[in-house]
Amino acid sequence: MAQEEPTLPDDEDDKRLMALVAEGDDDALRLLVNRHHARLVGYLRGEVGSQATAEELAMEVFIRLHRAASRWRPEAKLSTYLIHIAHNLVLNEWRRRGRKPTTALEFAAEPGDSTQQSARRVAELDEAFQRAIAQLPPEQRTAILLVVQQELPYEDIAEIMGVPVSSVKTWIHRARSRLRELLKDFYGNE
Amino acid sequence: MDNPNHNAFDQELAASLSRGRSVAVPGFSGRVVEAVRADRRRRIVIRWSSVATAAAACLVAVLTLSAPSEEALNRQTLALVARDESAQLADLLGAADDLSLLSPAVEKPSVVEVLNAPGS
Repeated sequence: MAQEEPTLPDDEDDKRLMALVAEGDDDALRLLVNRHHARLVGYLRGEVGSQATAEELAMEVFIRLHRAASRWRPEAKLSTYLIHIAHNLVLNEWRRRGRKPTTALEFAAEPGDSTQQSARRVAELDEAFQRAIAQLPPEQRTAILLVVQQELPYEDIAEIMGVPVSSVKTWIHRARSRLRELLKDFYGNE
Repeated sequence: MDNPNHNAFDQELAASLSRGRSVAVPGFSGRVVEAVRADRRRRIVIRWSSVATAAAACLVAVLTLSAPSEEALNRQTLALVARDESAQLADLLGAADDLSLLSPAVEKPSVVEVLNAPGS
């Protein structure tokens, strides 16, 4: 099975694959999933704090994408559209659970090739960051994840969250301040 | 203005979050395709069952609308009864029977009594 056609940029290739998915081509769907699922699961895990739930939600995102394939208009990037669907599912998930994300986070930092001591610090920091992010209000958490983790521009985040860009900027500013406050043991007071 | 703690914080926040940016799940696309196929089958069943339900509802509606109403049936029955002379006669006879039943009972004289009567 051919993986990616190097002559087409990702966006163009996504459009072509979406057209095939709309015709019921499962191989095209498989290619789209292979291309986009890792970032989607990463974002969802940051939101819900659980790998299993993140995978379930990512699965639902692709099922919804498949259902909407024939109606999909390539006005936005497919990756943005996927995160938009994912964000709506996350909102539903919070409502279902009574708002709070999982606090028992499952992040296991990968030590990489650094020394054991620095690997332990990385693991501690990751855990501390994840715990702090889990304590943020939902809109601040989403905004900070999308801007810092997914590196999306403010305009795309505003579109995904259905709010003005100014609100996104405000939430990101507040999220950073709150995270600094929550992690003051690591970084000292201002 | 530039607090070194802020810089360190921002860098480590970005580093920490970017470590979780991409989480590849082996075999995920296969699971998605299976789930999509199951969803497709489920939606086909739902579509056909709703078509069948709608068709059944239409059939019931056609049968109900084409059948005469209860009021029309009553009117037709009354018209038939009004046109039926034998029924009218039966009604009259029935009424006569009722009248004979209501009339006082009188003992009729026997033939002998009539013949023996004075002046006969």
